[in-house]
Amino acid sequence: MTGLAAVGAVAALVTAACGGSSTTGSTATVHFNQAVTSVVNPSSHKGGTIIFDNSSGPDSTDAGNTYYAFNLNFTRLYATPLTTYKACPGSCGLAVVPGLATALGTPSNGNKTWTFHLKSGVKFSDGTPVTSSDVKYAVERTFDRTVLPNGPSYFASLLAGNAAKYPGPFKDRSKNLMALTAITTPNPTTIVFNLKEPFADFNYVTAFPQTAPVPPAKDTGTNYQLKPLSTGPYMISSYQLNKQYTLVPNPQWNPSWNPQVKQLASKIIVNLNVNAVDIDNRLLAGDIQMDQAGSGVQAAARARILSSNSLKANSDDPVNGFMWFYYINTKVPPLNNIHCRMAVEFAANKTNLQTAYGGPYGGNIASTAMPPTVKGYSKFDLYHAYSKPGGDIAAAKQQLSLCGHPSGFSTNIAYRSDRPREVASATALQASLSAAGIKATLKGFTAATYYGNFAGVPNYVHSHGLGLLAGGWGPDWPNAYGWGWALFDGGSIVPAGNTNIAELNDPHVNSLFLSLEAATSPTMSDSISQQIDMAVMKDAVMLPAVYSKALLYRSPSLTNVYIQPYYGMYDYATLGMK
Amino acid sequence: MIGFIIRRLIAAVFLLIIVSMVTFAIFFLLPKLGGQTNYGLATQYVGRNPTRAAVLQMEAQLGLNRPVYLQYWHYLSAIFVGEHFGTGTGSAYCPPPCFGYSFKNQQPVWPMMVSDIPVTVSLAIGAAVLWLVFGITVGVISALKRGTIFDRFSMGLALAGVSLPIFFTGLVALELFSYKWPIFPNVQFVPFTQNPLLWARNLILPWVTLAFLYAALYARLTRAGMLETMSEDYIRTARAKGLPERTVIVRHGLRAALTPIITIFGMDLGALLGGAILTEYTFSLHGLGLFTIEAIQNQDFPEIMGVVLLAAFFIVIANLCVDILYAVVDPRVRY
Repeated sequence: MTGLAAVGAVAALVTAACGGSSTTGSTATVHFNQAVTSVVNPSSHKGGTIIFDNSSGPDSTDAGNTYYAFNLNFTRLYATPLTTYKACPGSCGLAVVPGLATALGTPSNGNKTWTFHLKSGVKFSDGTPVTSSDVKYAVERTFDRTVLPNGPSYFASLLAGNAAKYPGPFKDRSKNLMALTAITTPNPTTIVFNLKEPFADFNYVTAFPQTAPVPPAKDTGTNYQLKPLSTGPYMISSYQLNKQYTLVPNPQWNPSWNPQVKQLASKIIVNLNVNAVDIDNRLLAGDIQMDQAGSGVQAAARARILSSNSLKANSDDPVNGFMWFYYINTKVPPLNNIHCRMAVEFAANKTNLQTAYGGPYGGNIASTAMPPTVKGYSKFDLYHAYSKPGGDIAAAKQQLSLCGHPSGFSTNIAYRSDRPREVASATALQASLSAAGIKATLKGFTAATYYGNFAGVPNYVHSHGLGLLAGGWGPDWPNAYGWGWALFDGGSIVPAGNTNIAELNDPHVNSLFLSLEAATSPTMSDSISQQIDMAVMKDAVMLPAVYSKALLYRSPSLTNVYIQPYYGMYDYATLGMK
Repeated sequence: MIGFIIRRLIAAVFLLIIVSMVTFAIFFLLPKLGGQTNYGLATQYVGRNPTRAAVLQMEAQLGLNRPVYLQYWHYLSAIFVGEHFGTGTGSAYCPPPCFGYSFKNQQPVWPMMVSDIPVTVSLAIGAAVLWLVFGITVGVISALKRGTIFDRFSMGLALAGVSLPIFFTGLVALELFSYKWPIFPNVQFVPFTQNPLLWARNLILPWVTLAFLYAALYARLTRAGMLETMSEDYIRTARAKGLPERTVIVRHGLRAALTPIITIFGMDLGALLGGAILTEYTFSLHGLGLFTIEAIQNQDFPEIMGVVLLAAFFIVIANLCVDILYAVVDPRVRY
């Protein structure tokens, strides 16, 4: 893995040396960051082929088996969930709106029962009418993690009835098909979800494509990803696994089914596992229109874009909702003492961390545990990230005295050694901590095994004294629960696959998450969200580094281009060609 | 001769079994020696925030709770007798050779590898032809014209070819001939059966890039070999007999100098057929090399195991061919 990272780095240098010639069709009317706040090239023109390239690939093209942000974005082209995100730039796009449903879910029974009604006349791409049973089945099938392992597991943890033990409809099919008791379908257009506990955010949960209907008779299990039936404007016409898939217009599609998506291009091609540097070259040369991963161009293309006015005018650098930070483990001594953790917070040089993560174009310095794209975010600065971005050594030393280690202590920093930015960040953190007397030893791991085998296994973290652990996170939905429950709630600590890597189990924070889900108004939600953010930072369990930004290039040949803030990248479901 | 081939084939099978055991041990035993539990291993394949029941179900499905030797036997026997895999709604039969079931792609490994073989074979064979023709020709001329400008220039170029990594020459080639002067735009694999012209056009840059490295090596090897053989007594004798210079060079000089080249060619081609990792990565060609990278990135054990065995198979077969060729050329090898 390290070798591959080295290949990428050298390759980037090479292209930087050779680049700089090709600019494509810039127009005088576009400008840098235009797509962050407005729709660029609005048009209803039909036709053309949009080509996406991806240096990797989706976790699955089965809408019930995906968690990658870019793929949640992309699957809307062929899978319509009950709810979805509004198709507009800026904070407007954070609003959850009806998708397949006629309106947002109606809560009753104190946020424990949620009822949705389906739009009439919706059909699958084979012409079969969609019923509420197809939606129920789509959710049921996600319970079998051996068949569909990748998607979120909110339904399994939220639903009442037999949800905790329901094995999914694949095993012992005659017994288990449509046997999830927490979901009822009183008629073909109504579906009712019964939850164990009040959950005010349920409309966000149904925005995952796991609620996009699947007809039981047509489900081929693990092979369904190869040719899923469509309820969106396009359908997959061919799929060469790990190489390429092609989408063509769904002949059954009616725009009234979901106004948040469009059917403009006559074909969409996705090339998978393409060399990342080459993707940028193809993008800038106009050979392709979009980098599907949506995580920003590589260093070489970034240099080219930023040094050319015409290329820069066709690019955007949005805060993408993602955050880079360090977990500060609350069980590894001496960081089990809050003052030792605070010393780390003060001592860290935030400017150097920002530089490590790509400088001002890679992210803004962070001071909170929630990024600005999360509802209820409010700026505050407990550890002087803005007033003393180079690190507040005096304050750090004060905290060290309070924690009983006035001359400092030793700990370890875990990070992914095959991610150049993370290596730079860990090295920068090590240097800034040493200024306060904190001796940190670097412990590198490969990205593929980092969470699964090491950082996400509390026993390993404890036995190897991993006090500071590099990490990154994107929200499941844009409020404090969708962002932070898995990171900060005591209930999310598990022996393997752990996401609460700081192992914070603060009763105050836990109770705030509970009250957030019982909240009855947006104002109340926002207020509780702010309290969670503040409480977590007061516990000093996260050292925020940057609110991530990604430099994205928008092909001038595309229409209706804008940054969808929930996905933190261009909205793939509204694009057309000039 | 037949006895010799049979002995070599038996040795090849043993070698493949040992390779499979070592690969298996690396991926199954090493994590456990490092403190990883079956539960922890299974957690990697059930997504984020899995429930305990889901992890246990996956652990059982992967067969992680069975003894390691049984897991290995199960894997090995599936290669010869095939296996049934659950697809959720039913079961798919994976006929022999069945290299297991990919965790990431949820598909049997063998068909995925097979679909990538034409890319790697096209790349390796085309490049091999180029490097043999150019490498040997340049090597022979350099040896015969030792000390001339041609010799110095071609050996300097050869040194560059050996020194410059493929991801450098590949990216420079792409930048110059695909973007700056789009002579070969939009390089991507087109099957030979679909459009032979496009197949060749799109593979020229990868062929040249790959051949540049190997041709350089072969030119230097050929030159060294030729210099040595051309100073042998029997060459002087051949000349003294009045043989034409062309016959002296080709029949007597080159033939002797080619023996080590055959050995190394077999090894190189065999290794490349197992996946030209850097070239495929640079040009985004979906051959066995890219397949390997994806398998490693995804920690997809059956895929890694499959590709390692296939690569080992290619090398073993290539070596076998070389040994047989040797035995034909030099009967002493048979005994």
